[in-house]
Amino acid sequence: MIQPRLVWLIALKDLKLFIRDRLALFFFILFPFMFVVMFNFIYAGVGSEDDRLVFHLVTLEEETETALSYQIIAAIETPDESALQPGESQVVREDDYDELRRQVEDKELGGFLAFPVDFSEGIYMGRGAEIEVVADAEAVSYRAALYGLADGISSWIGANNVVEKAISELAKEQAPAILESIIEALGGQLIAGEPLIEYTSEKVGEVEAEQPSNFVIPGYLVMFVFFAAALSSEAIVRERQNHTLERILASSVRRFTIIGGIFTGTATKGLVQMIIFWAVGILAFNIDLGIAPAAVIILSFLMVIVSASFGVMLATLVKTDRGAGSIATLAALIMAPLGGCWWPLFITPQWMQFLSKVTPHGWANEGFNKLMLFGADFADVAPEMLALVIFTIIFGSIAVWRFRTAAG
Amino acid sequence: MPEEYLVAQDLHKSFNEHKAVNGVSFAIHKGEIFGLLGPNGAGKTTTIRMLSTVLEPDQGDVTIGGHSMKREADAVRNLIGVCPQELALYVELGALDNLVFFGRMAGLSSQEAKEQAKTHLALVGLEERGKGRIDKFSGGMKRRVNLAVALMGHPELLFLDEPTVGIDPQSRNNIYETIEGLRDKGMTILYTTHYMEEADRLCDRIAIMDGGQIIALDTPHELKAQIGPPEQVTLEDVFLKLTGRSLRD
Ligand SMILES: Nc1ncnc2c1ncn2[C@@H]1O[C@H](COP(=O)(O)OP(=O)(O)O)[C@@H](O)[C@H]1O
Ligand SMILES: [Mg+2]
Repeated sequence: MIQPRLVWLIALKDLKLFIRDRLALFFFILFPFMFVVMFNFIYAGVGSEDDRLVFHLVTLEEETETALSYQIIAAIETPDESALQPGESQVVREDDYDELRRQVEDKELGGFLAFPVDFSEGIYMGRGAEIEVVADAEAVSYRAALYGLADGISSWIGANNVVEKAISELAKEQAPAILESIIEALGGQLIAGEPLIEYTSEKVGEVEAEQPSNFVIPGYLVMFVFFAAALSSEAIVRERQNHTLERILASSVRRFTIIGGIFTGTATKGLVQMIIFWAVGILAFNIDLGIAPAAVIILSFLMVIVSASFGVMLATLVKTDRGAGSIATLAALIMAPLGGCWWPLFITPQWMQFLSKVTPHGWANEGFNKLMLFGADFADVAPEMLALVIFTIIFGSIAVWRFRTAAG
Repeated sequence: MPEEYLVAQDLHKSFNEHKAVNGVSFAIHKGEIFGLLGPNGAGKTTTIRMLSTVLEPDQGDVTIGGHSMKREADAVRNLIGVCPQELALYVELGALDNLVFFGRMAGLSSQEAKEQAKTHLALVGLEERGKGRIDKFSGGMKRRVNLAVALMGHPELLFLDEPTVGIDPQSRNNIYETIEGLRDKGMTILYTTHYMEEADRLCDRIAIMDGGQIIALDTPHELKAQIGPPEQVTLEDVFLKLTGRSLRD
């Protein structure tokens, strides 16, 4: 069906044409980095000292030798505020539950965590305990961060849960000793493997980025890989108008091979872009790929593939190269902000996060944020990867169905 | 009876109700230059696109070298070379790059493609310009490259769709000589044109096309003999006599 060598030769020819096109090259590489530098600068404020994420913890337990909540708070409480690195979160111990509650209701405070009166008892008795997350419904990201912290605490105490979330990682570092003593104190119960603390947490803990480039770079990678691939539809349509596609067909090349070649050429450009983005990101911006760098790479690869299939599809849907160019630009510039390329999705309201899912961008960015900001591992981003595969199948099927070599 | 290399049977093609080709049948003999002569819009290009497998006929079939175009498109494509009416070239690339690329598309190895590219470029008199980008070439030079590309893979049957439109006399003569040289080497050629002098000079037999149909088919000599002494009449007169119109408009 497909002639692999010819596929590659067609792709190579496209790349050759591409590097002759100075303007496209500029757009492809330099332009994206102008944005990255600019936005990195703008977002540099996020996570600075003024915007420091502060967690408020309160316990309703009586202060006794065995009161677990006191030990936990003591373990993760920030001892010296001035020693905190910029962007590092702060944990504050509070005393007055009712006052905190009033502050949340009056929207003076995003939320807090509270340990109930019977917290330790519940755990010691083996029937489990709850951590109360009190949060302003509108403070989406802050609420998520609180859940992350609660999750972390639960993970410690349960000890059967692997501590995997960003915030719990942070907390754990500060308290290895207490963790050990708790495990010891709880003995056999823990080995039974039942989680002792229950709370509702739907998400991976979400916090503001500590390093803006950790979301600026993936955001612009997604945007520009897609933009460049969409724009390559222009060149494909031009080939149709120039009769070169028809000439290739009249040689001994099959339709599928031509589609494959065009797709491969576009995808190869995307791969080069991706490599440049990550290389510059790591070397110049010191970004952190998280605990599953392979997932970051695969996610970017999938974004490249989705974008290439979109580009080929677009070429089959429009008549003229100008049409292709303007629709590509329009699509790229609408989908980028919608899909969270320009600002992190987790600071947007719920409905926008929902809407972002109609774009491949939204899924890719969510995946990158999870991996690079919130300490998710490979399995956590499986849904995002699957979504990108589904987009590829949809775009690709339309492209194959509609593909033609002749204009008109 | 000469061997029939290409047989077209009752070809039809419409574009939105408009009948571009309306029941065309003819046969091309091995080793001849067969001309399709007709004014713009007669259906020549549409016919060539169907014969070269890139446009599906609404009706009818074509056999080339014994292979049915419908059922054995791949086999047919291996036998043909196409020089389309428009310049189907990558103008940002060099002449050699274009030839090599299309040679590879025709199934040549890298080595073969490079060798043939040089030979064919020399054949059209552009051996010195192999590295030059096509968009820096004159119209006539581009046409010659367009022809050279069609020769890649040494096809047995060559389709030339108005290969000399709008070019300088020097390039035109080069193309004529190239085509005659190919015929002398035994290549079969289908040549379309709306220049009657050209058809008269080059073609062994000519089909005159108008309105999507073939209205006359014979040697140039016989076509002219039908309306007067062949030395005194032109194909232009023949067309005028058949249609009541001039070829030029
Ligand atoms: N792709 C197409 N779409 C619509 N009409 C076409 C198309 N190709 C050719 N035609 C029409 O078919 C007729 C024959 O065209 P063509 O085969 O190009 O003629 P010629 O090559 O003899 O000048 C013309 O009226 C032309 O406008
Ligand atoms: Mg024509």
